[in-house]
Amino acid sequence: MPGIYIHIPFCKHKCTYCDFTSFPDKLNFAEAYMACLYKEMGLRAEELKGVTFDTVYIGGGTPSVIDPAYIYGAMKQIKKLFKLAKNPEVTIEMNPGTVNENKIATYKRAGVDRFSIGLQTAIDGQLQELGRIHTVRDYLYCTSLLKGENFSADVMLGLRGQTKEDVRKTIAIAVGSGAKHISMYALTPEDGTPIYTQYLNGELPDGDEVRELYDYGYSLLKEAGFTRYEVSNFCRKGYESRHNLNYWRRGEYIGFGVSASSFFYGRRFTNTMNLDEYIKCILSGFLPVVENEKVEEADAKFEFVMLALRTSEGISAEKYKAAFGSDWREDFASALKKTAQFMETVGDITRIKEEWLYVQNQILIQFAP
Amino acid sequence: MAEANKNIRNFCIIAHIDHGKSTIADRIMELTGQVAHRDMEEQLLDSMDIERERGITIKLAPVRMFYTAKDGQEYEFNLIDTPGHVDFTYEVSRSLAACEGAVLVVDATQGVEAQTLANVYLALDNDLEIVPVINKIDLQSARVEETKAEIEDVIGLDCSEAPCVSAKEGTNMQDVLEAVVKFVPPPKGDTEAPLKALIFDSYYDNYKGVILFVRMKDGAVKAGDRVKAFLSDKIYEVTEVGAFSPRLQPKQILLAGEVGYIAASIKSIEDVAVGDTVISADRPAAEPLPGYKKVQPVVFCGIYPLDGSKFLDLKEAILKLKLNDASLTFEPDNSVALGFGFRCGFLGLLHMEIIQERIEREFNLDIITTAPSVSYLVHKTDGSEFFVDNPSHLPPAAEIEYMEEPIVKAEVYSPPDYLGSVMDLCQDKRGVFKDMTYLDTRRVKLEYRLPLNEIVYDFFDELKSRTKGYASFDYEIAGYERSKLVKLDILLNGDACDALSTIVHEDRAYARGRMLCENLKDAIPRQLFEIPVQAAIGGKIIARETVKAVRKDVLAKCYGGDITRKKKLLEKQKEGKKRMRQIGTVEVPSEVFMQILKTNKDK
Repeated sequence: MPGIYIHIPFCKHKCTYCDFTSFPDKLNFAEAYMACLYKEMGLRAEELKGVTFDTVYIGGGTPSVIDPAYIYGAMKQIKKLFKLAKNPEVTIEMNPGTVNENKIATYKRAGVDRFSIGLQTAIDGQLQELGRIHTVRDYLYCTSLLKGENFSADVMLGLRGQTKEDVRKTIAIAVGSGAKHISMYALTPEDGTPIYTQYLNGELPDGDEVRELYDYGYSLLKEAGFTRYEVSNFCRKGYESRHNLNYWRRGEYIGFGVSASSFFYGRRFTNTMNLDEYIKCILSGFLPVVENEKVEEADAKFEFVMLALRTSEGISAEKYKAAFGSDWREDFASALKKTAQFMETVGDITRIKEEWLYVQNQILIQFAP
Repeated sequence: MAEANKNIRNFCIIAHIDHGKSTIADRIMELTGQVAHRDMEEQLLDSMDIERERGITIKLAPVRMFYTAKDGQEYEFNLIDTPGHVDFTYEVSRSLAACEGAVLVVDATQGVEAQTLANVYLALDNDLEIVPVINKIDLQSARVEETKAEIEDVIGLDCSEAPCVSAKEGTNMQDVLEAVVKFVPPPKGDTEAPLKALIFDSYYDNYKGVILFVRMKDGAVKAGDRVKAFLSDKIYEVTEVGAFSPRLQPKQILLAGEVGYIAASIKSIEDVAVGDTVISADRPAAEPLPGYKKVQPVVFCGIYPLDGSKFLDLKEAILKLKLNDASLTFEPDNSVALGFGFRCGFLGLLHMEIIQERIEREFNLDIITTAPSVSYLVHKTDGSEFFVDNPSHLPPAAEIEYMEEPIVKAEVYSPPDYLGSVMDLCQDKRGVFKDMTYLDTRRVKLEYRLPLNEIVYDFFDELKSRTKGYASFDYEIAGYERSKLVKLDILLNGDACDALSTIVHEDRAYARGRMLCENLKDAIPRQLFEIPVQAAIGGKIIARETVKAVRKDVLAKCYGGDITRKKKLLEKQKEGKKRMRQIGTVEVPSEVFMQILKTNKDK
C-alpha cells in the first residue's frame, strides 16, 4: 500500500559522509519551511483523495532537530488531508544527540509508532570523526526513553580503521538497547563529501574488508535472533519496515518537502533540492517538481526485478504477472539463463542465493534493459 | 629526337630529422614567389596534422616553382620533399627516383648523423647529384668549418662551394637556388619518344579518381590521351594533366623531364601501382622504367574496430590510407577475442603508430591494435618452410623443427659519455657487438647485430631515454638467423586469448610472461569469479597472477530516492559491458588490450 515520505532538511551539523539535502545553518527557516510543507500537502490533497496510505516516514536531515510541534503539525495535516490505513506505520528518524522526553512524548501523541535512530558506530572516536554530534552515551539515553517501543538502529560499516571488534561492540550495544530492527549498511563515499577525500587516498577499508566486517556483523545478528529481509536490513520477526518494504515491492509513494522523491501514476518525480526555490514555488502555489519521468514498461519491469532481488521475499512470478500481465521468466529469459547459477527458485519465488547477495549489481546488470 | 627542357631542375631535399629540411623548403618556395610569405602556414609541405605535430614529414608533397637565376634565365624547379625517418626509406627512394639531384641539409650544430648517411647513400645509389647545404649557421654552437670537413671526410663530398645558410632567418638562401641551377643536371629524355612516366605517388580524389604523381621520363601526355600502367591491362582516357603549385594546377601537356600529375578517372589504386610506369595505350613503350625496389613490411600488428560493428568502416579507412601509402599492407584477419579486423604490415614502428593515429583521427574510428610482431621463418618437421607474422598462425610446437628471426645490422651513434648505457641496452636486447669507431672526440659509432623483434618494442625510446636524446640509430635488415623462439600464450581462466599471444625468445619468455600477467591482473576488472591469469609456453604454465573475485558491490541503502539513480547506474554499467570482449568466461574491456600493449614499453 502507498506510503508518504516527509523530508526535514535541517540538522545541527553535517556528517562527513552526508550528501542528503540538509542545511545545518538554516534552522531559522524551519517555521517557514514547515508552513510550506503543509501547503504542499494541500496542493496534492485533491488528486490523492481516493488513496489510502499505509505508512508515513519522516526523514532528513535530522527531523528530531526541529521543534516537535512541527512534527505534530505535519501529522495533523496528513490526517486531515489524506486517508490513512487503520494501523499506519509512522516512523521518524532521530539523531541521539537531539532527543529528550518531551520530544518523544510529542511524537507519540502525533501518532509516531516507530523510531529510527542513527547510532552508526558504538566507538566515540569514530562518531567524532564522522562529524556526528552524539556519543554512545547519548544513544543509550535516547533508547532508554524508548523502552518497549519499536525502534531501529542504523549501523555503518567501512569506517576508517574499523575493526571486527568495533563491529561486535556496536552490534552488542544496538541489540542490547532493545532495537527490534537494525539497518547495517556500508558507507558509500559520495563525491563532494569530506569523506570522499579519505576514500580517494585509500584510507577507507576496501570492498573485501567491508565484506569481511559485514559477514561478521551478520553472523552476530543471526546469533542475536535477527533475520535479514533485505540486503542491509535486519529485524526480529514481524518488525520489518513496512514503509521500506513498499519501496522494494515497487509500491507507490508520495514525497513532500525539498528534494523528496515520489512514485505515483507510473511516474517518478522529484522536488527541487534548493530550499529557496522550494519555498518560492510553494508560496506561488506551484508544485516544486523538477524531475518528472514516466517509467516505460521495460524500465518498470527491470525496477521490479532490481528491487525484489534485494529482499528475502524475492520475485514472485504471480505478483509480477499481476503487475505486468506477463511471465517474468519469459521477459528475462536470457538474463536468467546467464545468471542461473546465482539464483534459487522455490515454487513461485526466485531470489539471489545468499552467498551472492552482496555482488548482486554484477548479476542485475544482466537484467538491465 | 627532341630533348627535354634544359631549364628544368628536379630535386629533393634530404636531411636528418630536425636539421631544418622543411624550413629550407619553405624558404625556397618564398624566394621563388611560389607562396607569398603572409599566406604561408609554417612548413607548408608537411600538410598532414600528424606531420606538423610531430615535426616530421611522412608524405611526399611535390611543388613546382619558377626561378630567374643570376644568368638571367628562368628555371623550372620541381621540389619533392622527402621523409626523414628511418621507417620511410621506401618513400625516400620513391622521391629520389623522380629527381636528378638532392640538396643535402646538414645542421651545423649537429654534423653528419646516421640518417643523413643512409639517405645520402640512397641518393648516390640513384645517381643523384648531391648539393650540400650547411644550415643553422645563426646558432652560437654552429661549427660550420668542422661540419664541412666532416661531410668531406665521412661522405666524400666537396664542400668548397656549399652554401652556408640560416633557413630560419633566410640568410644566404639565394645561394641554395643558384647551387641547384649550377650543380643539379637537367633532366634527360626525349619528348617525342613513346610515353614513359614513373608513378612515384598517388592519392584518391573524390571527384577526379586516383591522381597519379608522375615524373615524365620520355614522351608527352595530355587530356584525351589513352594510357595504361605497364603492369596492368586497363586502359584509361586522361581527363587532366598538370603541375603542383603545390595545389593541383592543370596544364595543357606534360613533357619529358617534367614533374606533374595525371588524372584519368581511375577508380582503383590496385590497377596503377606506385612504382609502375604509365605508357601510351596506342603507342606503348616496350620496356617499363626500372621503377624502384619495393620494400617489404617488417613490423606487423592486428587492427580491430573497438566496436565490432564498425568493421566495414575500418576496411574503408584502411583502403583509403593504402591509396596514398603503398607501403602499407593488409589482409583480413579474424581473432577469437577481437572479432574481424586486419593484419597490417608496416615499414617500422613509427609507421605503425602513424597509421593507427590516422585511422583514429581522419576516420574517427576507435581501434584496438595487437602487440607488434615481426615476420618469422618457420621450418616444419615435414621439411616445409613459411613465414609467420601472426602468433596465432604458428603451427603447434611439435610440428616446428626450428624457427628463424629477422636480424638487423644496427648502427648507433652516441656521445662517448653514454657508451656504457648504450652497450647495456644492446646487450639487454640480445645484441651481438660488432664494431666501435670513434668518428671524432664527440661521437662514437657502435655496430651491433640485433634481433628485429627486440627493436620493435621499445628500443628507440629506451635508447633516447638512456642517452638523454643524444644517440641516434639506424638499421637495415641483415637476413634471418636461427633462434630459440617460443609462442607465449596468455590464458584467462584457462582459455587462451589469441589476441594476447606473442612470439618471443626463450630467454625472454619468463620475464615477458610475468610482466603481461601482472599488467593484466591490474587491468582486468574484478568479476564474480576469481580469474587466473596465466602465461604459458606450449601448455606449460610459466607465470600466474589472479584477479580476485569481486566480494561486495551492493551494501548501500536503496530507498525511495535512490531507485532511479540505482537503475540508471546499472543500465550504464550494462552499456559499458557492450565494450567488453568475451574471452571464454572472462569479460575483458577493450581498453585492456591497448593498455597491455602500451605497458610493454615500461619494463
